[in-house]
Amino acid sequence: MPLLNQGELRALLERELPGALDPTRPVNRYGNVEATHQLEVEDQASDTMGDTSPPPATGDAAAERQADVVDKEEPSVPPLSQDDAVVRAERLPDVAAFLRDRLGYDYLSRVTAVDYPAYGLIEVVYHFYRIEGGPGQIVRVRVPRDNAVIPSITPMWPGANLEERVCYDLFGVHFPGHPYHKRIYMWDEFEGHPMRKDFEKIGDSYYHFKWKGEGGEE
Amino acid sequence: MLKTEELQINIGPQHPSTHGVFRLMATVDGETVVHLEPVFGYLHRNHEQLGEIWTYLQTITITDRLDYFNSMINEHGYCMTVEKLASIEVPERAEYIRVIMSELSRILNHAAAIGFWLQDMGSWGTTLMFGFRQREMIMDIFESVGGSRMMCNYMRFGGVARDLTPNLVEQINLFLEGFPQFIDDFERLMMENEILLARSRNVGVLPKELAAAYSVTGPVIRGSGIPYDIRRAEPYSIYDRFAFDIPVGSVGDVYDRFLVRMEEMRQSHRILRQAMEQLPQASGSYINQAYKAASKQQGLRLPAGEAYCRVESPKGELGYYIVSNGGNSAYRYGIRAPSLINLTALNDMCRGYTVADIVVILGSIDIVMGEVDR
Amino acid sequence: MTATPEQTTATQTALQPVGGGGVVVVERKQPGQSYGQGIAKGMAVVIRHFAKSFTSRIDDKSDQAGMFTVEYPEERMELPEAYRNMPVLLYDDKTGQELCTSCFQCERICPPKVIHITQAKDPNTGKAVPAAEEFIIEYDSCMSCGLCHEICPFDAIKMDHFYELSTHDHLAMDQNKAALDRPISYYQAIAPNLWAAVEANAMKKLQNNVKRRPGNIGVAPHMIGKTQKALPTAAAAGAGAAAAARPKTPVAAIGKNMSPEKVARLEAIRAAKRGGATMPGESEIVAPSPVASGESGLHVAESQAGLAPSPATTPAPATGPVAAVGQSMSDEKKARLEAIRAAKRAQGGGQ
Repeated sequence: MPLLNQGELRALLERELPGALDPTRPVNRYGNVEATHQLEVEDQASDTMGDTSPPPATGDAAAERQADVVDKEEPSVPPLSQDDAVVRAERLPDVAAFLRDRLGYDYLSRVTAVDYPAYGLIEVVYHFYRIEGGPGQIVRVRVPRDNAVIPSITPMWPGANLEERVCYDLFGVHFPGHPYHKRIYMWDEFEGHPMRKDFEKIGDSYYHFKWKGEGGEE
Repeated sequence: MLKTEELQINIGPQHPSTHGVFRLMATVDGETVVHLEPVFGYLHRNHEQLGEIWTYLQTITITDRLDYFNSMINEHGYCMTVEKLASIEVPERAEYIRVIMSELSRILNHAAAIGFWLQDMGSWGTTLMFGFRQREMIMDIFESVGGSRMMCNYMRFGGVARDLTPNLVEQINLFLEGFPQFIDDFERLMMENEILLARSRNVGVLPKELAAAYSVTGPVIRGSGIPYDIRRAEPYSIYDRFAFDIPVGSVGDVYDRFLVRMEEMRQSHRILRQAMEQLPQASGSYINQAYKAASKQQGLRLPAGEAYCRVESPKGELGYYIVSNGGNSAYRYGIRAPSLINLTALNDMCRGYTVADIVVILGSIDIVMGEVDR
Repeated sequence: MTATPEQTTATQTALQPVGGGGVVVVERKQPGQSYGQGIAKGMAVVIRHFAKSFTSRIDDKSDQAGMFTVEYPEERMELPEAYRNMPVLLYDDKTGQELCTSCFQCERICPPKVIHITQAKDPNTGKAVPAAEEFIIEYDSCMSCGLCHEICPFDAIKMDHFYELSTHDHLAMDQNKAALDRPISYYQAIAPNLWAAVEANAMKKLQNNVKRRPGNIGVAPHMIGKTQKALPTAAAAGAGAAAAARPKTPVAAIGKNMSPEKVARLEAIRAAKRGGATMPGESEIVAPSPVASGESGLHVAESQAGLAPSPATTPAPATGPVAAVGQSMSDEKKARLEAIRAAKRAQGGGQ
């Protein structure tokens, strides 16, 4: 079977599974659609580098330029990937089956979630590979943060079992159809999902040391 | 026929055979396992979030704590991911040093894993110590090179922290000289042992099709007969330069996994031999000169984007997923932990076997809780 | 990419990808014809190793059979130079000037954030001085990653080799500057090559910084007054002696900075425990009592190594933190070992 690049996979999915791709452009935190954010990034790039290629990552000058780019936008949010196949949540099992049975991507390496509060999204990323080897395919599902529901692919692909539970536990993505839809790491009574960006962090650092006068030992 | 009632029993979390704080809820019918539900989270420390708080350089130190048996490979995978994202070149010599350390780590892990597995089976002490002595020798090498026996913190972006001195090369060569004798002894010690054969042959069978569907990796999938090894499937670093065989099993039982691990140690030795031969000719320094200073590494800001890199850890496929927002710490730092995913298949492997087989099957998966619970 | 000339000129042709290799199906052993054959085979291996453990010792990494264990605490493993346990601060032997300039690089890089520094200020002008007023490391939550020592631009913070840190008192593990200070000669003794690589640079930087330190600022606390009054040559000797008299153990050093009553209490506890497995503490070092069982082991090891038997008369740096196993080998034994190794290598080549 031929190897597909990202664009080809999108074209193929559009042809073979009409309606599977997610046409909506996510809204960014400025209330604009995602495309403008893309432009913004490009603008920055042209300001600092004069071309749109990613900055070289070596050398002092490059590091400084990168630092400049970062300091302009704070806190910065990574732009959402535009190249990969973004799939509607409800069509994910179809796409997964299509990848496995028709395209031969028979090995699911990873299911993981990324939280983008700035876009109001949680992105769940599926990495598919082939057992024989070679590069893999990435399929993304973007769901709203307050209603993160994706049909489980565990019934057809048992390898996703624990990864989906991790996504549920730490990110609060619900997977209806999962055979054992429970928290995996946190205890059952735990409230909230700790890997979400807005989860209140307490106790990031531990130390008992106190300076003089603060009630420490000395 | 007499009707029996199913009983639920807990194995762990404080059980010597669960390799850490890990709990198994087994539903048994008499002595036969009907259902097995692993319960995780006793060692959970939200490692992935720590990776979002700490800088990229600081995070190297906690990748050691994932699978604490082979910190070198964990670091290798993590550094590869960051290098991919930042397009940092790694000099050839550094790649060789990394491969040497990774393969030593694989031997270390398998020697200890087989020792623990045999210990689970009731061969108290002796066999474990055989494996541990070998592990000790490798840890001495790690200590000389990285400073610590287990938490090596040796790899850096663009290379490694210290060069291999001639003294260390000599030490590694000495180790490699003695290794065939060790593996022969180790094999003769247990390979044909009737008790081992009785307890491991046709126990915990995982058929080929199921293994692929369950996404299990490492010796488990190879034991089931699928030659899936990332060093071959998607060669990373300089693994395409070495000749080595991928051992696979024919039945997919516990015994096959044991044999696969044994053979993998031999193959690692083969890779090491080639790597040590080629090391003097390798060009470049032990680290990319532009990133030699620790302050350069600490202030490293990755361009916005994401990368997913996989390496073949002794437990299976270890993947790092990093999303960068252009800052000096990751926006999202995720790990595909082979030990965790391999446990997906535990229920299917154990169903139908006896309670005593559970520990043998669990031992054959070779889990490390630091990685399972992260 | 900043490649060195060798990097660019080195030919890539020498290392062509050989790759290859196939898939092997592992051979499954069948149960032996007569029951017990496999077990007997395994037992033969065990017995061979067991017998060998009485006759020979594994000194060589390629040896497989023989005695392998090290009888701690009488014997200790030789620690490699790169070994890292806990960070310590260095000061110059002669002048007592600390290398640290409180640049806060280590505080920033420390992953568990256990380093706390305050910068010294000139009492007259109120300006910051390149020296640390106070430097605290929480040893109990230090993860020994060594990043502080790697990033330090002044080579002021180094990783110690001392590892017997166990204590029942968590708070006592907070080490202040006085407890962290070690003379350069100590570090030179435990890691000669590592120090040699950075020495010139570090000392040059120190000279520059000393110029900007008024008075006793930046001098290791216990060195104050000892170096200023004496003549330069005598100062060096005095510093050496002071370094020798200094306790090697950080735990003992904790006592040095505690209030007198606490020290007294600790001494009482130690006295009560003496005869048991106490840590070689300050008092033992000052007045060595060879009969104390906790100490005697160390003495045996040291005399085996052919070193001076009493740690009080020997400067701490010269003995190094431990008497190594390798060092206890006599010269003829080493020569014999070399011969064996050579023979083995020849054999291996012939096969």
